[in-house]
Amino acid sequence: MTTLEFNALVRQYQGLVYTVCHQLVPDEGDAQDLAQETFLAAWRAIDRCPPGYEKQWLARIASNKAKDYLRSAWVRRVNTPGDAVLALEGAPPGADPEQQVLDAMSEETLTEKILGMREPYRTPCRLMLLEGHTAAEAAALCGRPQKTVEAQIYRAKKMLAEQIRQERRSEDGIVS
Amino acid sequence: MELFREDGCMTDDGFRAMMDGQLDELGRLEAAEHLSYCDQCMDRYTALLTADALETPPRGVQGAVMGTIWARLMQNTYGRAAVAGVAAVLALTMWRSGALQQIIQVGAGQETGLRTEQSQLWEPGQNDPAPENTLPYQPIEDDRTETEQEQLGKPVETKQDRRYAGEGSSLLQKLFTDVTDKIAGNAQNTEK
Repeated sequence: MTTLEFNALVRQYQGLVYTVCHQLVPDEGDAQDLAQETFLAAWRAIDRCPPGYEKQWLARIASNKAKDYLRSAWVRRVNTPGDAVLALEGAPPGADPEQQVLDAMSEETLTEKILGMREPYRTPCRLMLLEGHTAAEAAALCGRPQKTVEAQIYRAKKMLAEQIRQERRSEDGIVS
Repeated sequence: MELFREDGCMTDDGFRAMMDGQLDELGRLEAAEHLSYCDQCMDRYTALLTADALETPPRGVQGAVMGTIWARLMQNTYGRAAVAGVAAVLALTMWRSGALQQIIQVGAGQETGLRTEQSQLWEPGQNDPAPENTLPYQPIEDDRTETEQEQLGKPVETKQDRRYAGEGSSLLQKLFTDVTDKIAGNAQNTEK
């Protein structure tokens, strides 16, 4: 595709790409930056665009850009400085505070908690935490990219641990 | 409001909430994550993004994007062409001014000098007279300054240096003997 043709593509779909970015990232400036990044990434990979599916292809790149932005923003917000879970990613299993909370639970309670989770967390958690599948196997079984499954498991563990902590706190409050 | 169905795909309510800006940060992350791999939901979503649902970016995306692309193209294409052009002009200038010929001649002269056989040279410091048909010893002067030598980042090896740096360097041996004798003498004096 020539630069002139790509220029026409940008003109045609800039509204769509910006809308996708802005619906996922509310800040106007960030959405604008993500829209620009989307088109630059599209230019680099333009040969891979299936003919006739430009709209879906560009929206897919835009949602990927938004996902990366939101994921790092979420990790930054959750792992605030001084937090014990700062070194969660890449740390040995024993050092994972969320895993320690889950390990301390009985199998029955853990099963109940996991099956009570909402999607998109229930299926990967069931496959990995209850049935013992690897991330690659779980990804293949639920038709999601492995990185997505790993990120969902990471967040699910945090949610479960937080839920259990809150339950303990409320139980302690009732007892006292 | 449920964002996802039991089969893992997004609900219609979920799409509506996303388009109306009603999702929280985690909900938006989950939706973006799902749309990045699910073809069915992407088709549903793009079908909802009709002309009246599209927003206008606050600043023109087109100008910024095409400006960046042009700048990168210039860097890649014209950058290489400019470097090649400068190199060609430099080579042509050197050739026309005769500098190239001079460099080749100087290089050839140094090659000849280095090829002179060691046996033909008379060693300075030797007591024996120079044999017949021996070329007079003419050390090659290193005309580089101290600063230049340091800038090169390696020890200077002139012809003279190379001659003195061998195993039987008489100057080094003499210096070594003098120093060891002095130390031995000092030790004897101390013992007395």
